[in-house]
Amino acid sequence: MIELQNVTKRYPGNREALTHLDLTIEQGEMAFLTGPSGAGKSTLLKLIAAIERPTRGQVFINRKNITKIPKRKVPALRRHMGVVFQDHHLLHDRNVFDNVSLPLQIAGFAQVDINRRVRAALDKVDLLDKEQMMPITLSGGEQQRVGIARAVVHKPAILLADEPTGNLDPELSAEIMRLFSDFNQVGVTVLIASHDLELIKRMQKRIIRLRAGECIDSQKTHSAQDFEILN
Amino acid sequence: MATAKRQQPLAKPNLKTRMRAYVRDHARVLLFSLGKLYRTPFASSFTLLMIAIALALPACLYVLLNNLQTVTHKLDNAGQISLFLHSKTPESAIEQLTNKLNDHAKVSTVRYIPADLALQEFKKLSEFDELLEGLPSNPLPPTLVVTPIDSVKKIEPLNELKNEFQTLANVEQVQLDMQWLQRLQAITDIIRRAITAVGIMLGLSVLLVVGNSIRLDIENRRAEIEVTKLIGASDRFIRRPFLYGGMWFGLLGGVLALLLVFIVLLVIKQPAQELIGLYNSDFVLKLPSFTQSISLVGSSIFLGLFGSWLAVGHRIAKIQPS
Repeated sequence: MIELQNVTKRYPGNREALTHLDLTIEQGEMAFLTGPSGAGKSTLLKLIAAIERPTRGQVFINRKNITKIPKRKVPALRRHMGVVFQDHHLLHDRNVFDNVSLPLQIAGFAQVDINRRVRAALDKVDLLDKEQMMPITLSGGEQQRVGIARAVVHKPAILLADEPTGNLDPELSAEIMRLFSDFNQVGVTVLIASHDLELIKRMQKRIIRLRAGECIDSQKTHSAQDFEILN
Repeated sequence: MATAKRQQPLAKPNLKTRMRAYVRDHARVLLFSLGKLYRTPFASSFTLLMIAIALALPACLYVLLNNLQTVTHKLDNAGQISLFLHSKTPESAIEQLTNKLNDHAKVSTVRYIPADLALQEFKKLSEFDELLEGLPSNPLPPTLVVTPIDSVKKIEPLNELKNEFQTLANVEQVQLDMQWLQRLQAITDIIRRAITAVGIMLGLSVLLVVGNSIRLDIENRRAEIEVTKLIGASDRFIRRPFLYGGMWFGLLGGVLALLLVFIVLLVIKQPAQELIGLYNSDFVLKLPSFTQSISLVGSSIFLGLFGSWLAVGHRIAKIQPS
């Protein structure tokens, strides 16, 4: 589903964010991306969402090489993904419903389908009663759930999340992770960057550890014990 | 864990659905961008007033110039040609000449002023009547006053006509009193050009005003644009609300400008009519016609759209999520 072959990403100023990285995430897999700040977690996600281009190497999404994808084809590529951000990036001049429906508006769905899909997504994140509210009036956890609803409303095959629980307390964080796990259950490929090791240990999913742009460990599953050794 | 039902990917909407969604999105953005103006009343009214004033100024001048031109058209004695005949021309020859002139295609009316009548009129108008009594003979020649048809009442054709009359038998001198007409025409020409220049400059300023406020709007919505791009919006989708925003600026600014023009003209209508009425009794200040009003608003819409198009340009393409 997601494949990186010998990917190097160098930013201006010669800082190498990723170095000769090989990584494959299978369809329907759920994986966590972890490591200290500056390890290249965000860069990796950006390469997958075609926000950045690799300096060397190849990136494949669904067996399609997107390394040199033309600019005009980027929007279509992103419509197959859902992206969740740490600070949720909601549009504050419109209500929850309009925020969540945006990906469907962009893709040109009929209004009846939009209404149906938005309500389904909001139901999934348990915010059906807040659809008319403005994002600013919601709590941090609720805003993050709106962001997740927006990321999954168009049933993307891939769900990317960059520190989705960064600003939330442990209980809310666990709840958010459970949501991601639910989406993975129905076949969505999920990749989450997070430095909350305690939390992701408990999820019992594959953990990809990056350090200084290199993948230092990428086991399929970890037991809690493995972590004791790793740390 | 129980195996959950696998998610079926959403089928891509068909062409008809997408077309309908496209139209719906235009309608939505049309209202949304209007609502945006409404939500920032202070900044919006500021911009709208700037546009309105910049357009109302040349429009007012243009309407006044048009009125000035109708006034000069209505002054009938403009472009009259006086034919002074030899004093000894016999009456029969004068009659012949009058008929000949009357048949001329470019002549509207011919008035004959016999030498005696000319003297009487002159006496009436001047204070030299006693002096004139003392003259041994009438120094004034018989005169034919020719009024050309309207289409000839311009400097070039009038001069041609004058030269033509010069060659007629018994005509001693032809006088065309058009110096003031020439001046007036020169002045209106200068004014017309000045108004055009002012109009172009102010039109440009409308372009800049709209462009600038759209540019600011884009900068304020940078984060939003980035997010929308990440969700998979095309540049065109993102550009749309800004272009409609410019369109609204143009439309509302144009209507406001038209309102200003009418207010200004109604304010000066009374004194202007009194002034010009002194020269030409049936003068009525003409307000802009329907077509003129529509073209004012139309060019304002064009300027708004064009201004926002310039501002949007490649800026949206350059904003990339990071």
